[in-house]
Amino acid sequence: MNENDSVVLPNSRRDFLRQAGGGFGAIALSAMLQDGLSTSAATSISKLGAVAPHFAPRAKRVIYLFMHGGPSHVDLFDPKPDLIKYAGKPLPDEFGMVMTRRKVAANPLLPPGKPLRRRGESGLEVSDYLPEIASVADDLCVIRSCHGDSVNHPQAVYQMNTGSILTGRPSLGSWVSYGLGSENADMPAFVVMPDPGGGLKGGPPAYGSAYLPAVHQGTPMRPGANPILHLQPPEGVTSARQRRLLDFVANRNREHLAARNSDDELAARIRAYELAFRMQSTAPQLVDLSRETVETEQLYGLDVKETREFGTRCLLARRMVEHGVRFVQLISGDGRGWDAHENVAKNHGPLSRAVDKPIAALLRDLKRRGLWDDTLVIWGGEFGRMPMSEQGTGRDHNPWGYSVWLAGGSVRGGMAYGATDAVGLRAAENPVHIHDLHATILHILGYDHTKLTYPHNGRDERLTDVAGRVVREVLA
Amino acid sequence: MNLFLRAAEEESHAKAQRREEGEKNGVRPHFHFSFFSLCSFASSRLCVSFLILSLATVYVVQADEAAKTEPELNDVDREHWAYVPPQHPELPTVQDAAWCRTPVDRFILAKLEAAKLHPAAPADPATLLRRVTFDLTGLPPTAEQVKQFEADDYEATVDRLLNSRAYAERQAQHWLDLARYADTDGFEHDLVRSQAWRYRDWVIDAFARDLPLDEFLRLQIAGDELKPDDADAAIATGFLICGPDMPDLNRADERRSMVLNEITSTVGSTLLGLQIGCAQCHDHKFEPLSQADFYRLRSCFETAAFLSPGRSEVGGDKKTEKKDAPRVFRELPGPWEPSHLLVRGDFQRLGAAVDPGFPRVANPMQVRLTSASSSSSESASGSGRRSALASWLTRPDHPLTARVLVNRVWQQHFVHGLVRTPSDFGYLGDAPSHPELLDWLATELVRDGWSLKQLHWQIVLSAAYRQSGINQSVDVTADLQNRLISRFPRRRLDGEELRDGMLAASGRLSDRRGGPGVIPPLPQELFGSLRTKDQWTVSPDEEDHRRRSIYLFVRRNLRLPLLDAFDRPDTMASCPQRNRSTTAPQSLVLLNSEFAQTTAHDLAESLRRDQTDVARQIERAYCTCVGRTSTKDEAAAARELIESDPAGLVDFCLALFNLNEFAYVD
Repeated sequence: MNENDSVVLPNSRRDFLRQAGGGFGAIALSAMLQDGLSTSAATSISKLGAVAPHFAPRAKRVIYLFMHGGPSHVDLFDPKPDLIKYAGKPLPDEFGMVMTRRKVAANPLLPPGKPLRRRGESGLEVSDYLPEIASVADDLCVIRSCHGDSVNHPQAVYQMNTGSILTGRPSLGSWVSYGLGSENADMPAFVVMPDPGGGLKGGPPAYGSAYLPAVHQGTPMRPGANPILHLQPPEGVTSARQRRLLDFVANRNREHLAARNSDDELAARIRAYELAFRMQSTAPQLVDLSRETVETEQLYGLDVKETREFGTRCLLARRMVEHGVRFVQLISGDGRGWDAHENVAKNHGPLSRAVDKPIAALLRDLKRRGLWDDTLVIWGGEFGRMPMSEQGTGRDHNPWGYSVWLAGGSVRGGMAYGATDAVGLRAAENPVHIHDLHATILHILGYDHTKLTYPHNGRDERLTDVAGRVVREVLA
Repeated sequence: MNLFLRAAEEESHAKAQRREEGEKNGVRPHFHFSFFSLCSFASSRLCVSFLILSLATVYVVQADEAAKTEPELNDVDREHWAYVPPQHPELPTVQDAAWCRTPVDRFILAKLEAAKLHPAAPADPATLLRRVTFDLTGLPPTAEQVKQFEADDYEATVDRLLNSRAYAERQAQHWLDLARYADTDGFEHDLVRSQAWRYRDWVIDAFARDLPLDEFLRLQIAGDELKPDDADAAIATGFLICGPDMPDLNRADERRSMVLNEITSTVGSTLLGLQIGCAQCHDHKFEPLSQADFYRLRSCFETAAFLSPGRSEVGGDKKTEKKDAPRVFRELPGPWEPSHLLVRGDFQRLGAAVDPGFPRVANPMQVRLTSASSSSSESASGSGRRSALASWLTRPDHPLTARVLVNRVWQQHFVHGLVRTPSDFGYLGDAPSHPELLDWLATELVRDGWSLKQLHWQIVLSAAYRQSGINQSVDVTADLQNRLISRFPRRRLDGEELRDGMLAASGRLSDRRGGPGVIPPLPQELFGSLRTKDQWTVSPDEEDHRRRSIYLFVRRNLRLPLLDAFDRPDTMASCPQRNRSTTAPQSLVLLNSEFAQTTAHDLAESLRRDQTDVARQIERAYCTCVGRTSTKDEAAAARELIESDPAGLVDFCLALFNLNEFAYVD
């Protein structure tokens, strides 16, 4: 970081705060640039981010498969024989009062739509909704005792992504970008691939950087020729013409800089223009799948209509992490997503088919390309669903107990951690609050969650607020 | 990087440690309440007032139970600089009195001389004109103004700028950042607040007519109570309810509690410079702000309903208001529920009862919140709690209000305040670099009848403000952070200034004022991030798309790409100071967005219209965009670019918008 930049050392906490504005962006950027054109994921990370890891990272990058709307744990990953046994009966009194979004507490219990079976050598249960993911069950570490604090979508989306049910906190990906920086000089550290069907409930603040500098916010990317907003000049503007314009700008900026004591912020802005120019060729290359083999395309299901869209994004996610993007978040589910209020089978059936094969392919592909050991894959929604029915065959939101799984060399495969109660209503055994999940993810990336902080409005803020327990039992 | 963090960490630890040591030495019995300290007159004046209070308030529904177990204030707390009311200081004596243009300079120069430094030379006229025009109006000077400006016109120029509409519009943006202003609710549905703009227009008008700042604040806290017959005064209370809200939260009591906490935190940080929001779950760990302090202040807002027209309001009757009614605070008829501290901030766990009141440490005047305040009797204009709060806040002897205000204004002109944590004047905040100057400005503000324009005048006429950005006589490391103001600090324009500046330069900035927020076109790709596509209905009249950014519709869940890239605050909380990041997406938006392309095209058109000669086009473009004429070399390079392509003039215009010199003010 200090090799080619004369960064002004702040002499107080307040100067640090101040620099967090111009300075941080500049620092992160200069760090990104210094590494030159990097396409190798093996680049040393310690010098790139704003905060060196507190201990040796178990993983260096993350793919977060966010199942928007809240997939049903009792239908997918959390087998509950009692739910079948007592199907149609009301929730027994001993479960006490249940806060629900739509007052479904008195409704009869609804059994899973398809059987959950023991799979692989581990015998980990996975539903028939997800036969392909079931075939890699030995690689999954299912946390069955996750819980959060809100029955509402936007609050729960915010909490899953930022730790807080309120808006205005940096997202997990932003914290990782802030901490570890980018491995690729030509790409943002945190990329989001939204569902083409629509937005998140809660919107872009769910992947925003809040009070962290804007450089750390999730950059939305899409498949196709123009993957990043405003990446390409308008039609008719040739590359040569834009180069001439940029050269004029660069020359004037250098004269301007020379007359101003080589101000770091001005220097960083000169380099930002060079980075922008390089991104124009790098980003389309990243999303260009023409060099992928037919076998790979078939593995991800690109040859089948149902799986093509999500398969494409999973394949892009692999290409991104391969090329040094630090944190890739995929969103499955349009504005409604996995929000199966009326009919779980009708909702989860097609969505499961759309993501099942691509996700299994992603895990296999990461393995065979040597990316498995230091990539952490996260799968989960903003909450699970109620054991009681809604409107006969649907289920209401359930933040009190649900499943999230992790995969990758850093975690134990074929394992279920924690448990919900007999019907899957509440986390009962080894509960894992969202703060605990976040603490664990940061731990895997080499950070003590209590020490990855950023000063804001008089407080050293962190992802886990004042809570968080690292769930060491899931670590490999 | 680690070095930075360690330094920051060490400092905060050191501060915490200082407090702990103070406690050990008996200076701070903060967490140890003793019966004797209550009885002992010597221990605390507050105890006396507590006794008086409990005797006097016979009509109080419920005595303040929380006070019984609340950590006491001690001398360390009371003597913190920010809690001692400011005194009008003597002007310091200086050696080089001739340098000083306004009293402000005496304070600046005294510090510089003490450090054996000299101020920088005066900025050249072109730089000064661009600086003061952007600072006061958020817009660049026109080419004509650049050509006509002579340094001795400066006072007349400042006068013209302060009396322009653009000044009020610029000033309003600073205030709306603090007010976390938006036209929607946020959260999942992000519903439109169709009348929110009335508050935005009220703020602009207030600045345009230089409404005294004490009245400006009073009306925003209690306009409805203070002027029950004045609809405009009620609109001012829109300040309180600008924050994010979730009307479809399934528990109305939870929602109300969240909104009340948000209002209390915002009033604390914005007007008092106190991070009192930290005390909603527990006593503040480092500041003398108790949880009871938080809920006493919150109690001032608990007798009211906050309206969302046409939709469910928070408290009070549902859906009684018409759709076009402005968003205002309205007192509910008494008697009112007694206020309580909430255990760990949980709205379902009522703790000890509290009376409405002011944060103790900010109240060395020991003013009690009385009026109709604690009474449960009905009154036409409400409980009077907010009126009492408003009048307390704007007392001339208030230790914080005027200081916090003048510091924010100083920050507008010098990038940083004299206190560099503008919403935190507490123990963990920054100490003022020039405490006497801060107090002089604060007391002078009150003496000048709280005139904001007068305050700007004092600052921008100073020699300190008119310095060059580079001090040839002082090594930059001698005043690395520029805390002594040994030079003028360079500043990147914010997103609104960039957008408005580009439009102004292109000659296409609309001068339409006020009214509902304008929705300009959005890149197609961004529609996907909206919940429904009808959340972005582009305003039909194209001219509206070219209005100043202050008039753009503010959707909490989606910011306009250009403003988003340039660190526009997210409006989820009060923003006292903007981030200034430098990123590649900023370059992309200024190069490739339709807005940048169109604006460059418009500028090229206007150049062609005015001048046929390329040299004159270049000269005019430089004046328009960077406020000066071009050098010979620059003109030659510009000509080469222009002649390299049939659309070269557009490229040249676009290039100017992308210059560091365009994006920065020296």
